[in-house]
Amino acid sequence: MGERVAESGLRIAGLRASVEGKEILKGIDLFVERGSVHALMGPNGSGKSTLAFSLTGHPSYQVTAGTVTLDGEDILALPPDKRAKAGLFLSFQYPAAIPGVSVANFIRTARQSVRPDDLPPAKFRKMIYEKVDELDMDTAFLSRYVNDGFSGGEKKRLEMLQLAMLAPKYAVLDETDSGLDVDALKSVGATVGTLRSSEEGEHTGFLIITHYPRILQYITADRVHIMIDGRIVAEGGPELADAIEREGYDKIREEVAGGVA
Amino acid sequence: MASLSESPSAAHGISKASLDALIAARGEGAIPAQMRYDALARFEELPVRQALKGGRDWKHDLAKLDLSATRPAGEPLVATIAADLGARGALVTPFDSARTAQAGAFTALFGRAVDTRDDKFASLALAFQQGGAFVWIPEGVQIEEPIRISYALTGGRFPYTLIGLGRGASATVVEHFAGDASGANFACGICELVLGEGATLHYAVDQRTDASAKTIFTRRAALGRNANLFFATAELGAEHAVERVRINAAEPGSSTEVTGFFFAAGDQHVDLASEVIHAAAATRSQTLIRSAGTDRGQGRYYGNIKILPNAHGADARLRDDALLLSEKAHVDSVPALEIAANDVKAYHGATVGAISADEIFYAQTRGLSRSEAERMIALGFFEPAIARFPTEALREELRHALEAKFHATAET
Repeated sequence: MGERVAESGLRIAGLRASVEGKEILKGIDLFVERGSVHALMGPNGSGKSTLAFSLTGHPSYQVTAGTVTLDGEDILALPPDKRAKAGLFLSFQYPAAIPGVSVANFIRTARQSVRPDDLPPAKFRKMIYEKVDELDMDTAFLSRYVNDGFSGGEKKRLEMLQLAMLAPKYAVLDETDSGLDVDALKSVGATVGTLRSSEEGEHTGFLIITHYPRILQYITADRVHIMIDGRIVAEGGPELADAIEREGYDKIREEVAGGVA
Repeated sequence: MASLSESPSAAHGISKASLDALIAARGEGAIPAQMRYDALARFEELPVRQALKGGRDWKHDLAKLDLSATRPAGEPLVATIAADLGARGALVTPFDSARTAQAGAFTALFGRAVDTRDDKFASLALAFQQGGAFVWIPEGVQIEEPIRISYALTGGRFPYTLIGLGRGASATVVEHFAGDASGANFACGICELVLGEGATLHYAVDQRTDASAKTIFTRRAALGRNANLFFATAELGAEHAVERVRINAAEPGSSTEVTGFFFAAGDQHVDLASEVIHAAAATRSQTLIRSAGTDRGQGRYYGNIKILPNAHGADARLRDDALLLSEKAHVDSVPALEIAANDVKAYHGATVGAISADEIFYAQTRGLSRSEAERMIALGFFEPAIARFPTEALREELRHALEAKFHATAET
């Protein structure tokens, strides 16, 4: 093998995936560069969450064709934890509760797994207190059990806290905006803004999955992709999200159907 | 002494001869000889009532217990006692000298909570009693510093712990059981807790004997009016551990919090039973049990709440959850309620299950390997039980002991 500079970016090519034998993703191509924000929009049932779970290796989702590379490395053969170590993060739409495990302990363990030996305990503590403050959370939150008895909004805030603490190379946010009030949306926007920047953050690349364009008032997307029935049917700049806001998905659906006919 | 260990017929096994040898070597101690011989006779006559039922192939069963190699008259069992009592009449002493140390309190307390008449293994423990501890906290005395009683259980051991609290007294007592792998370790003991009016006792058991040991402990408590007993037991050691707990909320307003957990790994078998008797009005109990099995571990929890006819306004809750971490592990959970009063609150709930795939996946996406995720989630499963043990130092010891068991499991 000769010297070769590995490609930088999260590249999804021709990805097909099934759940219980039913094909949901029917060939997805996407390329997310470090520091960029891509919005993936689509109606319910279009396959957005299936893409999130296929990228992160959920055992119930079978990838049947295509490739996913992270900075040139094929990650589809890796278990979920190795994908996380490679730098991929998923903010869950419905994160699981882990009773008996405190938020602080969980995030400390996660940080050590993803970035071994990089933060001494005192610095970790200082950092997590800062992030808790930035996300308008109470430090009492840290001693609660992970997502156990959390409200919908608290669960999303915990996902954002983990995102901020793990500072991944690439982050998929699955419907992070649902159930959040305006203040919470603003703090999500601030977290994403900080992480994507190369000065303050990690130059994180984002794939933001959402049903509603609302979150894009707080996060500026570089590209918008529209997914319908397991395919990306339209792509464009932020103006595409505005069009969805005005007209909903029906118009695009009709155009796609018309195009096929 | 030397002749004892050289005479197998006298020193080995459970028999009148071995009891003769024990009494000849050490005297009757705190328990009169005749009481011992009567207890031995009951042990020999009574059937094993807690025989395991069901079609399952239980590896360990009391009905198959072989005590022929047990040496009840070995070296004296010495408890290491750590207590800071001050000079207020509180007493912590080896059980064998209890009668000479504080005859009045001992006589008033001994046998108040324990009835061996219909109990095979409590009778065995009484017959061969040697070692143990006597704790007496007189009226109004509050002991802040936890009292620690530690045993190394090797050979055949029959300790008796008697803890009495006078009116309004309070204390924390932790019993640690350890032991090395010197072989044929068998321990059969009694713990008796007697709480006076308004007394508060935090009592905890930390059982981490050697993985070849067999242990059978009978723990009984009698609660005075408005007394509070916080009872917590961790059954982590032994090849076959049996613990039977019965708490009698005998007087109005008495309450108890019962906590237990076990983790049957390797070829371990743990058999835990707890019973709270609500025998008076406005008595309260909260029982929380967490049990788990991995490898070929087996376990059973039997939990009973008994509310007697005159226990008006009783409030009883029992919650037990079991976690199975391997295909071959098995944990039975048998909660029961017997209610004979009308205006009472009683709740029980039980679950048995594996770790959810969603929890594992979630932790994996945060960089934990599958086995790390399982370990973290399982440790979390025990946490509500651990959180009810007294002192942070003990809680940390128990967490580390559980982690060590997980690491040992990962290596087999």
